[in-house]
Amino acid sequence: MANVKLTKVGKVYADSAQGSVRAVEAVDLLIADGEFCVLVGPSGCGKSTTLRMIAGLEEISEGVLEIDGKRVNELPAKDRDIAFVFQNYALYPHLTVAQNVGFGLETRRTHRSAFVAAISGGGAARAAESARIDARVAEVSRTLGLDPLLARYPRELSGGQRQRVAVGRAIARDPKVFLFDEPLSNLDARLRIETRSELRTLHRKLRATIVYVTHDQEEAMTLADRLVVMHAGKVMQNASAQECYERPANRFVAGFIGTPSMNLVDGRLENGVFSARGVHAPIPSTIAARSCALGVRPDRVRIVGRNAAASIAATIAAVELLGDRTDLTLDCAWGRMVARIDADLAAGMREGDAVGFTFDAAHAHLFELGECGARIVI
Amino acid sequence: MQRSPLANALLWFVLIIGTAAFVFPLWWMAVVSLETPERAEAAITGSGGIALFAPHPQFANYANAVRETGSRPWMGFVDALSNSIVVTVLVVLGTVLSSSAVGYAFARLRFRGRNPLFLLMLATMMLPGQVTMIPLFLLFRQFGWIDTIMPLVVPAFFGNAFFIFMYRQFIAQIPESLVEAARIDGLGHIAIWWRIILPLCRPVTAICAVFTFIGTWNDFLGPLIYLHSDESATLAVALNGFKNQYGGLEDVHLLMALSVLTMIPCIVLFIAAQKTFVEGLARGAVKG
Repeated sequence: MANVKLTKVGKVYADSAQGSVRAVEAVDLLIADGEFCVLVGPSGCGKSTTLRMIAGLEEISEGVLEIDGKRVNELPAKDRDIAFVFQNYALYPHLTVAQNVGFGLETRRTHRSAFVAAISGGGAARAAESARIDARVAEVSRTLGLDPLLARYPRELSGGQRQRVAVGRAIARDPKVFLFDEPLSNLDARLRIETRSELRTLHRKLRATIVYVTHDQEEAMTLADRLVVMHAGKVMQNASAQECYERPANRFVAGFIGTPSMNLVDGRLENGVFSARGVHAPIPSTIAARSCALGVRPDRVRIVGRNAAASIAATIAAVELLGDRTDLTLDCAWGRMVARIDADLAAGMREGDAVGFTFDAAHAHLFELGECGARIVI
Repeated sequence: MQRSPLANALLWFVLIIGTAAFVFPLWWMAVVSLETPERAEAAITGSGGIALFAPHPQFANYANAVRETGSRPWMGFVDALSNSIVVTVLVVLGTVLSSSAVGYAFARLRFRGRNPLFLLMLATMMLPGQVTMIPLFLLFRQFGWIDTIMPLVVPAFFGNAFFIFMYRQFIAQIPESLVEAARIDGLGHIAIWWRIILPLCRPVTAICAVFTFIGTWNDFLGPLIYLHSDESATLAVALNGFKNQYGGLEDVHLLMALSVLTMIPCIVLFIAAQKTFVEGLARGAVKG
């Protein structure tokens, strides 16, 4: 196992039509040994490109990539001692499951050809090597429950089974770093959640360094030791999932992490009161008067009576039942707000009902204006 | 969907007519190969009408044809057969290996001038063989390759534009991630081509191999131009020698007998490869 260090890593695509396109910009990242690091962001944010640069599938345009303290920018993919799990699994269709899992070992054996080994007297050494590979394949398939499938071809497997074979192929070689590129996005919702927790367990068992790319923030939150939120080629926040959720570094992270998204309203803070479009709400803060955006998580919104003190008047635009909780979409002077409340409290609420709401000011967030406006400490 | 009886009958009628039109020349060739010399000659000149069966089949025609091929009894046939086999096997091997390798390069490697080069290669398909025949002959004579199989075999190892195109199209739809996975698993481009791409290209390889086999096995002009001595002739040329040696149409029954023998490998190969062809077509349709 090993750590991975990116220093000012960037990727520039030369494009004759538009000059050049910068897909990734000055990414600084230190992934510790044994850490599960998730790169998350909307499509086109540069997360996959970053992962592919670590893998050696894309050239690094700028900066330095180190694995285990050694610069590997110029090292070809096969010599970086990494394993990659592809979104479409990329199993070799003409090989059985066992051959797929053992392929990386097979290509790295010292005694390649049975014929050469036989005539040069390396027959016994080659046989021992073959036995080692077989044993390793058996061990890995036991770990992943692939034993009954070893003789099958990828086309004879279900999506979930293919996914496990892809993971098996990665594990078999016992690489320094595992790289996953949206490995669950081709599975159905239920299998995705199951496999997610399997991956988590596997990580604990292997204590492996993992870099994992996904666009699904929920998947990212549940898996990550370290969450790296990316947007437009830049790192927006690099912290634990908890930290990203509770203290988003900027407005983009605030909106991206958490479902439903955080409610964000542009306005002005003055003397401990936030005002926007003629509606005021108290915020316990002593900072100087300034324009800013207010952020409130849906589960911090409380529905109260229409005429309750300090409440903001709203109309219910939509009611979504989730079982134990209910999401209410509210139309108010601030625009659309989403509230997530206990299902019991939502009983009897209908679309079109006039209500009032307040929010938990102690858990409100403030950001500078703009798409990626930085967090303002209250 | 259920067809009406009338539509069914019509379909059968068209299919039967079509089949008859295609099968008749072969059938007739087999019939003439079994005729006596007199009846065979009459059949060729048209004076005897068209017979659908040989009334007195002369199976000895086949033995006679084999014996009288080339200038040495029996051995002439063995020479021609072995020449044909050597040339055909080498040409098929060369075409499959070179065309798939070049197709892989055009489909998966990024290099300067890839598209212009690909177009240039396709353009060579527009060039009729007759145009290059004389310059090529002069070139090969310069190499001292006349009356050897080199001029027939060596060009095959430099790819065939049409099959390169076919391989490229097929390889382009193999997911890029397979190649990337192989790179990470430690393979270089040659190993990727050999261990990943070629096995996946089986349907194309079957088509390429069978068509090349039939084309080379039946090729007349190439061997006629480059192979001058009797011992180096291929079967197709030997068939011709047959006619010249005796002149006229006296031995047309033997010519037909040897033609039937010459065709057999092509037919066997085609039937054997049919399953792979169909597999290739089906895979293209369903996309796995």
